[in-house]
Amino acid sequence: MSMYNFKKIAVVPTAKDFIDIILSKTQRKTPTVVHKQYKITRIRAFYMRKVKFSQQSFHDRLTQILTEFPKLDDVHPFYADLMNVLYDKDHYKLALGQINTARHLIDNVSKDYVRLLKYGDSLYRCKQLKRAALGRMATIMKRQGSNLTYLEQVRQHLARLPSIDPYTRTIIICGFPNVGKSSFINKITRADVEVQPYAFTTKSLYIGHTDYKYLRWQVIDTPGILDHSLEERNVIEMQAVTALAHLRACILYFLDLSEQCGHGLDEQVKLFESIKPLFANKPLIIVANKCDIIKLNELSEEKRASLKSLEEDKEITMLEMSALDDTGVMEVKTEACEKLLSFRVDQKMRTKKVDGVLNRLHVAVPKQRDEIVRPPCIPESVLAKRANKKRKLEREIELEEGDDYVLDLKKHYVDIPEEERHDIIPEIWEGHNIADYIDPEIFEKLAELEKDEEIREETGMYVVPKMELDETMQEIKKLALQIRHKKAIMKDEARINKQSRKPVMPRTAGAKVFICFIIKKLFL
Amino acid sequence: MALRAQFENNNEIGVFAKLTNAYCLVGIGGSENFYSIFEGELGETVPVVHVSLAGLRIIGRMCVGNKHGLLVPNSTLDTELQHIRNALPDTVKVQRVEERLSALGNVIACNDYVALVHPDLDRETEEIIADTLKVEVFRQTIASNVLVGSYCVLSNQGGLVHPNTTIVDQDELSSLLQVPLVAGTVNRGSEVVGAGLVVNDWCAFAGMDTTSTEMTVIESVFRLNDAAPSNITSDMRASLIESMS
Repeated sequence: MSMYNFKKIAVVPTAKDFIDIILSKTQRKTPTVVHKQYKITRIRAFYMRKVKFSQQSFHDRLTQILTEFPKLDDVHPFYADLMNVLYDKDHYKLALGQINTARHLIDNVSKDYVRLLKYGDSLYRCKQLKRAALGRMATIMKRQGSNLTYLEQVRQHLARLPSIDPYTRTIIICGFPNVGKSSFINKITRADVEVQPYAFTTKSLYIGHTDYKYLRWQVIDTPGILDHSLEERNVIEMQAVTALAHLRACILYFLDLSEQCGHGLDEQVKLFESIKPLFANKPLIIVANKCDIIKLNELSEEKRASLKSLEEDKEITMLEMSALDDTGVMEVKTEACEKLLSFRVDQKMRTKKVDGVLNRLHVAVPKQRDEIVRPPCIPESVLAKRANKKRKLEREIELEEGDDYVLDLKKHYVDIPEEERHDIIPEIWEGHNIADYIDPEIFEKLAELEKDEEIREETGMYVVPKMELDETMQEIKKLALQIRHKKAIMKDEARINKQSRKPVMPRTAGAKVFICFIIKKLFL
Repeated sequence: MALRAQFENNNEIGVFAKLTNAYCLVGIGGSENFYSIFEGELGETVPVVHVSLAGLRIIGRMCVGNKHGLLVPNSTLDTELQHIRNALPDTVKVQRVEERLSALGNVIACNDYVALVHPDLDRETEEIIADTLKVEVFRQTIASNVLVGSYCVLSNQGGLVHPNTTIVDQDELSSLLQVPLVAGTVNRGSEVVGAGLVVNDWCAFAGMDTTSTEMTVIESVFRLNDAAPSNITSDMRASLIESMS
């Protein structure tokens, strides 16, 4: 996988930035102080160092570009072809070639000027030579401006390419635009490719991964292909063709039975026939998609006839599928994986690759050497646990009871006794939570209180004491009664006498009126 | 039942644990995460014991045992030995062995009936093994490696050996051991199977890196689920070829 990771290419600066970077680096990393009274050899050495340093910096940076960009001749033909389609092979090679030439030129400039600097006889001369040298290097780089911007664009695009491993197990999905390729990849992987009801929604290769039989499978979604000659194909279609041509993968050719994609069945079959050479020696499955709209056996006679050539071919499997309602999606995936797996295993068996692992595919079965039985020793508890594993699942209960099934959340409250488990808590009565009014010790408390009461009664706390009055006291009491009567009468009389019929003005009101009066007077 | 485990970010769990049908020994680590994986799976059936040997925690490589007994190296301290004796049931005999090759786990591989030992092992040690562990002892190499304990994992139901073991060797070893054998790897292609895997008759623990393919091979050959070892040559064949070459 790591072989084809183009994400690590360093940024290619523009020509102007390039020059600025190098010159400021030279300024920073070489000595800056020189005086004309210095010995001439020292002055020469000072400027030679500057020239050499900037040459080396240019050289390193350019070499980095040249090594980091993939060489079209070294990468897998799939990537070479894809890059040819996307960035134009000639342009790419030319750009790198010119960068290489520029590197040589800069080296030569430096060599020349270092030689000239050896004959510099004053600080001024040496400085001018250095200036000329750096100036010429900068000019050479300036000429590479367009190449550098092109390479930067290529780098940005390369970094965004899906990381397709050309050697691993791959399933390629292809067909006319809008037949449901992207819907299918979204169903079986988590690629999350955009699906829209117009043609050429998918404009580049997309990759998703899926699992089958403990292995990781790479699924590639290609842009739709139209039926015309190779020369007429555009960049988008060419990417699909590149993938089909170079990757040893299982091909899923998608047909749209409903013809909603805007291409008739016969057209789709024709395309299949014309790109068939690309499928040679690869496992191939034809997927009849959108079977929720029309089934294969519901097709009219003439449409059926156009499919006939495909159906008669013994090597082609045709499967019905609908990405909309999921019918047949898993069957298609399984069939594709199975076919590719057996194909790849067959191929590997023919090479010597497998010899190394044959011993690992062998299960050595013991030959009986004596009569001793050597049973495994598994504790009873483990066996019991294994046997017990078949506990009645909630799902089974649901199936059993059908519509009567109600999810019982309280069933597993093992700490609560069975008969109390389903009690309703909190229990509300006339808007009051009964639990709030329950004191678990109420009866004990009551009993205690009653006991206290009893004791009090027994000790005679509540018996009313009898009072006996003597003569004088009785007289005083009588007199007191008379006084009280008299007082009440006097009080009543005083109240009656005090009553007057005149209206009463509260003191506060009178005062206010008076104040208003004074204020009015003042203002007048 | 096969589980994945890790000892303090280390996948070589066979180094830090010893699993048999009657007990499980676990090295003393910084946290109880590792111990509790074993405790959770085995705690109700067999004693799972924290152990150190000679103050080290690499107990899986230092001792060897089965349901009948346990052999510990001479460097084991008295307190440690006493702790082991107290913790294990009385049916398990614990014996200290004076042996020059003191990493007993590396030089001896055994199940409850048969043991493979390093060809240079002392004669006396061999006798102790036969007596304490109640096994037949065979001096063998595995894929021309003398460290049989490191390159082979055995239970009473199956065995996993070094991936380079030839078919002839496998058949021979299998007939000696009387269990089906498979050559395989653990921990994403590690050939030191003894270090990456501990197993008994009903469960197995492998390093965290072990792939699902490796896991399935382990489960099949040790009969940990319903699959039989023959599964490896039938159902899994294609996947194995694909993933290995």
